[in-house]
Amino acid sequence: MTQDTDRRRSISDAARLAGLLEQVGRKRDAQAFRALFDHFAPRIRSFLMKRRVSSALADDLTQDVMLAIWRRASSFDAAKASAATWIYTIARNAHIDHYRKAVRARKIDEHDPHFQPPDQPLPDDLYERAEAGQSVTGALSGLPDDQRLVLELAFTEGLSHSEIAERLDLPLGTVKSRVRLAMNKMRQGLGEWK
Amino acid sequence: MTQRGHVLDDSWYLDYAAGTLGTEAQDVMMASHVELSDEARGRVAALETLGGAMLDASDGEAPLGFSVEDILRRAGGEAEEDLTAAPATAAPAADDSLCLPQALQDYLARTGTPVRWGFLGPGMRKAILWRGEHGERLWLLRAQPGVAIPHHGHNGSELTLVLKGSFWDGEQEYRPGDVEEAHPGVEHDIRIDEGGECICLALTEGKLKFESPVLRAFQVFTGL
Repeated sequence: MTQDTDRRRSISDAARLAGLLEQVGRKRDAQAFRALFDHFAPRIRSFLMKRRVSSALADDLTQDVMLAIWRRASSFDAAKASAATWIYTIARNAHIDHYRKAVRARKIDEHDPHFQPPDQPLPDDLYERAEAGQSVTGALSGLPDDQRLVLELAFTEGLSHSEIAERLDLPLGTVKSRVRLAMNKMRQGLGEWK
Repeated sequence: MTQRGHVLDDSWYLDYAAGTLGTEAQDVMMASHVELSDEARGRVAALETLGGAMLDASDGEAPLGFSVEDILRRAGGEAEEDLTAAPATAAPAADDSLCLPQALQDYLARTGTPVRWGFLGPGMRKAILWRGEHGERLWLLRAQPGVAIPHHGHNGSELTLVLKGSFWDGEQEYRPGDVEEAHPGVEHDIRIDEGGECICLALTEGKLKFESPVLRAFQVFTGL
Protein backbone atom coordinates (compact mmCIF):
# COMPACT_ATOMS: atom_id res chain seq x y z
CA MET A 1 0.00 0.00 0.00
CA THR A 2 1.31 3.42 -0.85
CA GLN A 3 1.74 6.10 1.70
CA ASP A 4 -0.76 8.17 -0.23
CA THR A 5 -3.64 5.71 0.16
CA ASP A 6 -2.65 5.36 3.79
CA ARG A 7 -2.93 9.06 4.26
CA ARG A 8 -6.24 9.35 2.42
CA ARG A 9 -7.68 6.62 4.57
CA SER A 10 -6.56 8.21 7.79
CA ILE A 11 -8.02 11.55 6.74
CA SER A 12 -11.46 10.06 6.04
CA ASP A 13 -11.22 8.13 9.31
CA ALA A 14 -10.45 11.41 11.09
CA ALA A 15 -13.54 13.00 9.52
CA ARG A 16 -15.69 10.09 10.69
CA LEU A 17 -14.38 10.38 14.27
CA ALA A 18 -14.89 14.14 14.33
CA GLY A 19 -18.47 13.59 13.09
CA LEU A 20 -19.13 11.09 15.88
CA LEU A 21 -17.77 13.46 18.49
CA GLU A 22 -19.98 16.26 17.18
CA GLN A 23 -23.03 13.98 17.38
CA VAL A 24 -22.23 13.18 21.01
CA GLY A 25 -21.86 16.90 21.69
CA ARG A 26 -25.05 17.95 19.96
CA LYS A 27 -27.42 15.08 20.68
CA ARG A 28 -25.88 13.00 23.48
CA ASP A 29 -25.89 10.21 20.93
CA ALA A 30 -25.03 7.00 22.82
CA GLN A 31 -24.56 5.05 19.59
CA ALA A 32 -21.97 7.54 18.34
CA PHE A 33 -20.30 7.39 21.75
CA ARG A 34 -20.07 3.59 21.54
CA ALA A 35 -18.27 3.92 18.20
CA LEU A 36 -15.89 6.49 19.66
CA PHE A 37 -15.31 4.22 22.64
CA ASP A 38 -14.42 1.28 20.39
CA HIS A 39 -11.88 3.38 18.59
CA PHE A 40 -10.36 5.40 21.40
CA ALA A 41 -10.69 3.53 24.71
CA PRO A 42 -8.12 0.83 23.81
CA ARG A 43 -5.81 3.49 22.40
CA ILE A 44 -6.03 5.70 25.48
CA ARG A 45 -5.32 2.73 27.70
CA SER A 46 -2.37 1.66 25.58
CA PHE A 47 -1.07 5.25 25.52
CA LEU A 48 -1.15 5.36 29.34
CA MET A 49 0.50 1.95 29.67
CA LYS A 50 3.40 3.13 27.51
CA ARG A 51 3.80 5.97 29.98
CA ARG A 52 4.42 3.37 32.67
CA VAL A 53 1.05 3.59 34.38
CA SER A 54 -0.08 0.36 36.07
CA SER A 55 -2.82 -1.53 34.24
CA ALA A 56 -5.37 -0.95 37.05
CA LEU A 57 -4.68 2.78 37.02
CA ALA A 58 -4.73 2.84 33.21
CA ASP A 59 -8.25 1.34 33.37
CA ASP A 60 -9.36 3.97 35.90
CA LEU A 61 -7.89 6.90 34.01
CA THR A 62 -9.24 5.65 30.68
CA GLN A 63 -12.74 5.52 32.16
CA ASP A 64 -12.34 9.06 33.50
CA VAL A 65 -11.17 10.26 30.10
CA MET A 66 -14.06 8.56 28.27
CA LEU A 67 -16.52 10.08 30.75
CA ALA A 68 -14.94 13.50 30.21
CA ILE A 69 -15.34 13.02 26.45
CA TRP A 70 -19.04 12.30 26.91
CA ARG A 71 -19.54 15.35 29.09
CA ARG A 72 -17.38 17.84 27.25
CA ALA A 73 -18.12 16.80 23.67
CA SER A 74 -20.18 19.95 23.08
CA SER A 75 -17.02 22.05 23.49
CA PHE A 76 -15.25 20.12 20.71
CA ASP A 77 -14.67 22.29 17.65
CA ALA A 78 -13.72 20.33 14.53
CA ALA A 79 -12.36 23.51 12.96
CA LYS A 80 -9.75 23.82 15.70
CA ALA A 81 -8.53 20.28 16.28
CA SER A 82 -9.04 16.68 15.20
CA ALA A 83 -10.94 14.32 17.48
CA ALA A 84 -7.67 12.50 18.22
CA THR A 85 -5.92 15.74 19.17
CA TRP A 86 -8.78 16.88 21.37
CA ILE A 87 -8.90 13.49 23.11
CA TYR A 88 -5.13 13.37 23.39
CA THR A 89 -5.10 16.60 25.43
CA ILE A 90 -7.80 15.25 27.77
CA ALA A 91 -5.86 12.00 28.29
CA ARG A 92 -2.57 13.84 28.81
CA ASN A 93 -4.12 16.20 31.35
CA ALA A 94 -5.82 13.37 33.23
CA HIS A 95 -2.45 11.65 33.52
CA ILE A 96 -0.63 14.80 34.68
CA ASP A 97 -3.37 15.70 37.17
CA HIS A 98 -3.18 12.24 38.67
CA TYR A 99 0.59 12.39 38.89
CA ARG A 100 0.69 15.88 40.42
CA LYS A 101 -1.92 14.88 42.99
CA ALA A 102 0.19 11.86 43.95
CA VAL A 103 3.23 14.12 44.32
CA ARG A 104 1.30 16.50 46.58
CA ALA A 105 -0.36 13.77 48.66
CA ARG A 106 2.58 11.45 49.20
CA LYS A 107 5.19 14.16 49.02
CA ILE A 108 7.08 12.07 46.51
CA ASP A 109 10.11 13.71 45.05
CA GLU A 110 9.52 14.49 41.40
CA HIS A 111 13.23 14.05 40.76
CA ASP A 112 13.29 10.63 42.42
CA PRO A 113 15.12 8.08 40.25
CA HIS A 114 12.11 5.75 40.73
CA PHE A 115 10.17 8.00 38.42
CA GLN A 116 12.80 7.92 35.74
CA PRO A 117 12.27 5.59 32.80
CA PRO A 118 13.07 2.04 33.94
CA ASP A 119 13.73 0.16 30.73
CA GLN A 120 16.40 1.48 28.44
CA PRO A 121 16.35 -0.13 25.02
CA LEU A 122 19.46 0.39 22.97
CA PRO A 123 19.34 3.29 20.53
CA ASP A 124 19.39 0.84 17.59
CA ASP A 125 16.12 -0.79 18.68
CA LEU A 126 14.62 2.63 19.09
CA TYR A 127 15.46 3.58 15.55
CA GLU A 128 13.81 0.41 14.30
CA ARG A 129 10.70 1.14 16.30
CA ALA A 130 10.58 4.67 14.99
CA GLU A 131 10.81 3.23 11.48
CA ALA A 132 7.87 0.89 12.12
CA GLY A 133 5.67 3.77 13.25
CA GLN A 134 6.40 5.88 10.23
CA SER A 135 3.43 5.13 8.00
CA VAL A 136 0.84 5.91 10.64
CA THR A 137 1.92 9.37 11.60
CA GLY A 138 2.02 11.33 8.39
CA ALA A 139 2.99 14.50 10.18
CA LEU A 140 6.24 12.82 11.14
CA SER A 141 7.01 11.05 7.92
CA GLY A 142 9.01 13.86 6.33
CA LEU A 143 11.40 14.05 9.25
CA PRO A 144 14.85 12.48 9.42
CA ASP A 145 15.00 9.46 11.76
CA ASP A 146 16.90 11.19 14.51
CA GLN A 147 14.37 14.03 14.76
CA ARG A 148 11.37 11.74 14.53
CA LEU A 149 12.74 9.54 17.28
CA VAL A 150 12.95 12.46 19.72
CA LEU A 151 9.30 13.39 19.13
CA GLU A 152 8.13 9.79 19.40
CA LEU A 153 9.92 9.28 22.70
CA ALA A 154 8.35 12.47 24.04
CA PHE A 155 4.79 11.57 23.12
CA THR A 156 4.67 7.81 23.30
CA GLU A 157 6.91 7.17 26.29
CA GLY A 158 6.31 10.49 27.97
CA LEU A 159 9.99 11.41 28.27
CA SER A 160 11.07 15.01 28.80
CA HIS A 161 13.75 16.37 26.48
CA SER A 162 16.39 15.91 29.18
CA GLU A 163 15.28 12.31 29.78
CA ILE A 164 15.52 11.73 26.04
CA ALA A 165 19.09 13.04 26.10
CA GLU A 166 19.91 10.55 28.87
CA ARG A 167 18.19 7.69 27.12
CA LEU A 168 19.95 8.27 23.82
CA ASP A 169 23.18 9.23 25.53
CA LEU A 170 23.29 12.55 23.69
CA PRO A 171 24.23 16.03 24.90
CA LEU A 172 21.18 18.10 25.90
CA GLY A 173 22.02 20.66 23.22
CA THR A 174 21.82 17.99 20.50
CA VAL A 175 18.33 16.96 21.58
CA LYS A 176 17.23 20.59 21.75
CA SER A 177 18.48 21.28 18.25
CA ARG A 178 16.71 18.17 16.91
CA VAL A 179 13.47 19.38 18.49
CA ARG A 180 13.98 22.81 16.94
CA LEU A 181 14.69 21.40 13.46
CA ALA A 182 11.74 19.00 13.63
CA MET A 183 9.38 21.77 14.67
CA ASN A 184 10.56 24.07 11.91
CA LYS A 185 9.82 21.36 9.37
CA MET A 186 6.47 20.53 10.89
CA ARG A 187 5.43 24.17 10.85
CA GLN A 188 5.79 24.03 7.08
CA GLY A 189 3.80 20.87 6.46
CA LEU A 190 1.34 20.30 9.27
CA GLY A 191 -1.72 22.15 7.97
CA GLU A 192 -3.71 19.15 6.82
CA TRP A 193 -3.30 17.33 10.15
CA LYS A 194 -5.14 19.93 12.16
CA MET B 1 18.93 34.38 24.78
CA THR B 2 15.61 35.16 23.18
CA GLN B 3 13.94 34.29 19.90
CA ARG B 4 11.50 36.14 17.67
CA GLY B 5 8.38 37.23 19.51
CA HIS B 6 10.14 36.42 22.79
CA VAL B 7 9.21 32.80 23.04
CA LEU B 8 11.16 29.92 24.55
CA ASP B 9 13.30 27.21 23.09
CA ASP B 10 11.11 24.60 21.36
CA SER B 11 12.06 21.95 23.90
CA TRP B 12 9.85 23.80 26.44
CA TYR B 13 6.82 23.53 24.13
CA LEU B 14 7.56 19.88 23.46
CA ASP B 15 7.71 19.06 27.18
CA TYR B 16 4.53 21.04 27.78
CA ALA B 17 2.60 19.47 24.89
CA ALA B 18 3.82 15.97 25.74
CA GLY B 19 2.95 16.49 29.42
CA THR B 20 6.48 15.83 30.67
CA LEU B 21 7.42 19.03 32.49
CA GLY B 22 9.21 18.35 35.78
CA THR B 23 7.04 20.30 38.21
CA GLU B 24 3.56 21.73 38.62
CA ALA B 25 5.16 25.20 38.80
CA GLN B 26 6.50 24.65 35.28
CA ASP B 27 3.02 23.52 34.16
CA VAL B 28 1.56 26.75 35.53
CA MET B 29 4.27 28.92 33.99
CA MET B 30 3.90 27.31 30.56
CA ALA B 31 0.10 27.24 30.63
CA SER B 32 0.11 30.96 31.50
CA HIS B 33 2.55 31.73 28.69
CA VAL B 34 0.54 29.70 26.17
CA GLU B 35 -2.64 31.45 27.27
CA LEU B 36 -1.14 34.90 26.65
CA SER B 37 1.06 34.34 23.59
CA ASP B 38 -0.34 33.55 20.12
CA GLU B 39 3.04 32.30 18.94
CA ALA B 40 3.35 29.90 21.89
CA ARG B 41 -0.22 28.70 21.39
CA GLY B 42 0.49 27.95 17.73
CA ARG B 43 3.55 25.89 18.57
CA VAL B 44 1.76 23.91 21.24
CA ALA B 45 -1.24 23.31 18.94
CA ALA B 46 1.07 21.88 16.27
CA LEU B 47 2.68 19.55 18.80
CA GLU B 48 -0.66 18.47 20.24
CA THR B 49 -1.72 17.53 16.73
CA LEU B 50 1.25 15.24 16.70
CA GLY B 51 0.27 13.86 20.11
CA GLY B 52 -3.19 13.13 18.69
CA ALA B 53 -1.72 11.35 15.68
CA MET B 54 0.42 9.23 17.99
CA LEU B 55 -2.49 8.45 20.28
CA ASP B 56 -4.42 7.37 17.21
CA ALA B 57 -1.53 5.13 16.20
CA SER B 58 -1.28 3.42 19.62
CA ASP B 59 -2.03 -0.25 19.25
CA GLY B 60 -4.67 -1.13 21.81
CA GLU B 61 -4.64 -4.90 21.93
CA ALA B 62 -4.93 -5.51 25.67
CA PRO B 63 -8.50 -6.20 26.82
CA LEU B 64 -10.15 -3.38 28.74
CA GLY B 65 -11.22 -3.93 32.33
CA PHE B 66 -14.55 -2.18 31.66
CA SER B 67 -17.13 -1.63 28.95
CA VAL B 68 -18.74 1.34 27.27
CA GLU B 69 -21.95 0.58 29.17
CA ASP B 70 -20.05 1.20 32.44
CA ILE B 71 -19.21 4.69 31.20
CA LEU B 72 -22.74 5.43 30.02
CA ARG B 73 -24.10 4.24 33.35
CA ARG B 74 -21.72 6.54 35.22
CA ALA B 75 -22.64 9.38 32.87
CA GLY B 76 -26.35 8.86 33.47
CA GLY B 77 -26.14 8.18 37.20
CA GLU B 78 -24.12 11.17 38.25
CA ALA B 79 -24.77 14.85 38.25
CA GLU B 80 -23.55 16.64 35.17
CA GLU B 81 -20.32 17.81 36.66
CA ASP B 82 -16.99 17.16 35.08
CA LEU B 83 -14.59 14.90 36.94
CA THR B 84 -11.44 15.97 35.20
CA ALA B 85 -12.22 19.63 34.67
CA ALA B 86 -10.41 22.22 36.72
CA PRO B 87 -12.40 23.20 39.80
CA ALA B 88 -14.65 26.18 39.30
CA THR B 89 -12.87 29.30 40.41
CA ALA B 90 -15.31 30.23 43.13
CA ALA B 91 -12.26 30.72 45.35
CA PRO B 92 -11.23 34.22 46.45
CA ALA B 93 -11.44 36.24 43.27
CA ALA B 94 -7.98 37.45 42.45
CA ASP B 95 -7.43 41.18 42.19
CA ASP B 96 -8.35 42.06 38.60
CA SER B 97 -5.71 44.77 38.37
CA LEU B 98 -3.04 42.03 38.55
CA CYS B 99 -4.06 40.62 35.14
CA LEU B 100 -3.40 37.05 36.28
CA PRO B 101 -3.96 34.48 33.52
CA GLN B 102 -6.69 31.89 34.09
CA ALA B 103 -4.13 29.06 34.41
CA LEU B 104 -2.48 30.89 37.31
CA GLN B 105 -5.79 31.79 38.94
CA ASP B 106 -6.84 28.13 38.73
CA TYR B 107 -3.58 27.06 40.35
CA LEU B 108 -3.94 29.57 43.19
CA ALA B 109 -7.55 28.47 43.78
CA ARG B 110 -6.72 24.75 43.58
CA THR B 111 -3.83 24.96 46.02
CA GLY B 112 -5.33 27.68 48.24
CA THR B 113 -2.27 29.87 47.68
CA PRO B 114 -2.74 33.52 48.67
CA VAL B 115 -0.99 36.37 46.88
CA ARG B 116 0.85 38.17 49.70
CA TRP B 117 2.99 41.06 48.61
CA GLY B 118 6.25 41.79 50.39
CA PHE B 119 8.99 44.34 49.96
CA LEU B 120 11.63 43.45 47.37
CA GLY B 121 13.40 46.73 46.74
CA PRO B 122 12.63 50.36 46.00
CA GLY B 123 9.51 50.37 43.80
CA MET B 124 9.37 46.57 43.74
CA ARG B 125 7.25 44.02 45.53
CA LYS B 126 7.24 40.26 45.39
CA ALA B 127 4.79 37.49 46.25
CA ILE B 128 6.21 34.00 46.57
CA LEU B 129 3.64 31.44 45.43
CA TRP B 130 5.55 28.18 45.76
CA ARG B 131 8.92 26.86 46.88
CA GLY B 132 10.23 23.57 45.52
CA GLU B 133 12.42 21.03 47.26
CA HIS B 134 15.39 21.97 45.14
CA GLY B 135 15.36 25.70 45.76
CA GLU B 136 12.93 26.57 42.95
CA ARG B 137 10.55 29.46 43.49
CA LEU B 138 7.43 30.49 41.60
CA TRP B 139 6.75 34.13 42.35
CA LEU B 140 5.15 37.34 41.20
CA LEU B 141 7.08 40.56 40.70
CA ARG B 142 5.26 43.89 40.77
CA ALA B 143 7.37 46.89 39.82
CA GLN B 144 6.68 50.58 39.43
CA PRO B 145 7.25 52.33 36.08
CA GLY B 146 10.88 53.15 35.35
CA VAL B 147 12.37 50.96 38.10
CA ALA B 148 15.77 49.47 37.26
CA ILE B 149 17.00 46.09 38.46
CA PRO B 150 20.74 46.59 38.23
CA HIS B 151 23.32 44.34 36.67
CA HIS B 152 22.78 40.81 37.89
CA GLY B 153 23.44 37.23 36.92
CA HIS B 154 21.77 33.99 37.93
CA ASN B 155 23.01 30.88 39.67
CA GLY B 156 20.29 28.84 38.02
CA SER B 157 17.93 29.44 35.15
CA GLU B 158 14.96 31.74 35.40
CA LEU B 159 11.81 32.17 33.33
CA THR B 160 10.12 35.56 33.47
CA LEU B 161 6.69 35.97 31.89
CA VAL B 162 5.19 39.42 31.51
CA LEU B 163 1.55 39.57 32.66
CA LYS B 164 1.06 43.33 32.60
CA GLY B 165 3.07 46.33 31.41
CA SER B 166 6.51 45.74 29.97
CA PHE B 167 10.21 45.67 30.79
CA TRP B 168 13.39 46.12 28.84
CA ASP B 169 16.49 43.97 28.96
CA GLY B 170 19.01 46.08 27.09
CA GLU B 171 17.36 46.91 23.76
CA GLN B 172 14.73 44.18 23.93
CA GLU B 173 11.24 44.95 25.11
CA TYR B 174 9.15 42.24 26.76
CA ARG B 175 5.37 42.65 26.67
CA PRO B 176 2.43 40.63 28.04
CA GLY B 177 2.78 37.00 26.91
CA ASP B 178 6.51 37.37 26.23
CA VAL B 179 8.85 35.26 28.28
CA GLU B 180 12.55 35.63 28.88
CA GLU B 181 14.74 32.69 29.79
CA ALA B 182 17.81 33.68 31.75
CA HIS B 183 20.65 31.20 31.94
CA PRO B 184 23.35 30.91 34.59
CA GLY B 185 26.28 33.15 33.82
CA VAL B 186 24.35 35.58 31.61
CA GLU B 187 24.19 39.13 32.95
CA HIS B 188 21.00 41.17 32.85
CA ASP B 189 20.17 44.80 33.16
CA ILE B 190 16.42 45.12 33.56
CA ARG B 191 14.44 48.33 33.35
CA ILE B 192 10.66 48.58 33.79
CA ASP B 193 9.00 50.59 31.02
CA GLU B 194 8.00 54.14 31.97
CA GLY B 195 4.44 53.60 30.68
CA GLY B 196 2.99 51.80 33.69
CA GLU B 197 3.51 49.24 36.42
CA CYS B 198 4.79 45.84 35.35
CA ILE B 199 3.71 42.49 36.76
CA CYS B 200 5.63 39.33 35.94
CA LEU B 201 5.38 35.67 36.85
CA ALA B 202 8.84 34.24 37.48
CA LEU B 203 10.15 30.72 38.01
CA THR B 204 13.62 30.82 39.48
CA GLU B 205 15.99 27.92 40.02
CA GLY B 206 18.91 29.54 41.81
CA LYS B 207 19.54 32.75 43.68
CA LEU B 208 20.09 36.00 41.83
CA LYS B 209 23.71 37.05 41.81
CA PHE B 210 24.31 40.77 42.21
CA GLU B 211 27.71 42.31 41.58
CA SER B 212 27.35 44.98 44.18
CA PRO B 213 28.05 43.86 47.79
CA VAL B 214 25.29 46.18 49.01
CA LEU B 215 22.72 44.45 46.82
CA ARG B 216 24.10 41.08 47.87
CA ALA B 217 23.55 42.00 51.52
CA PHE B 218 20.10 43.20 50.56
CA GLN B 219 19.21 39.71 49.32
CA VAL B 220 19.40 38.38 52.87
CA PHE B 221 16.35 40.45 53.74
CA THR B 222 14.31 39.95 50.63
CA GLY B 223 14.73 36.20 50.36
CA LEU B 224 15.56 36.15 46.67
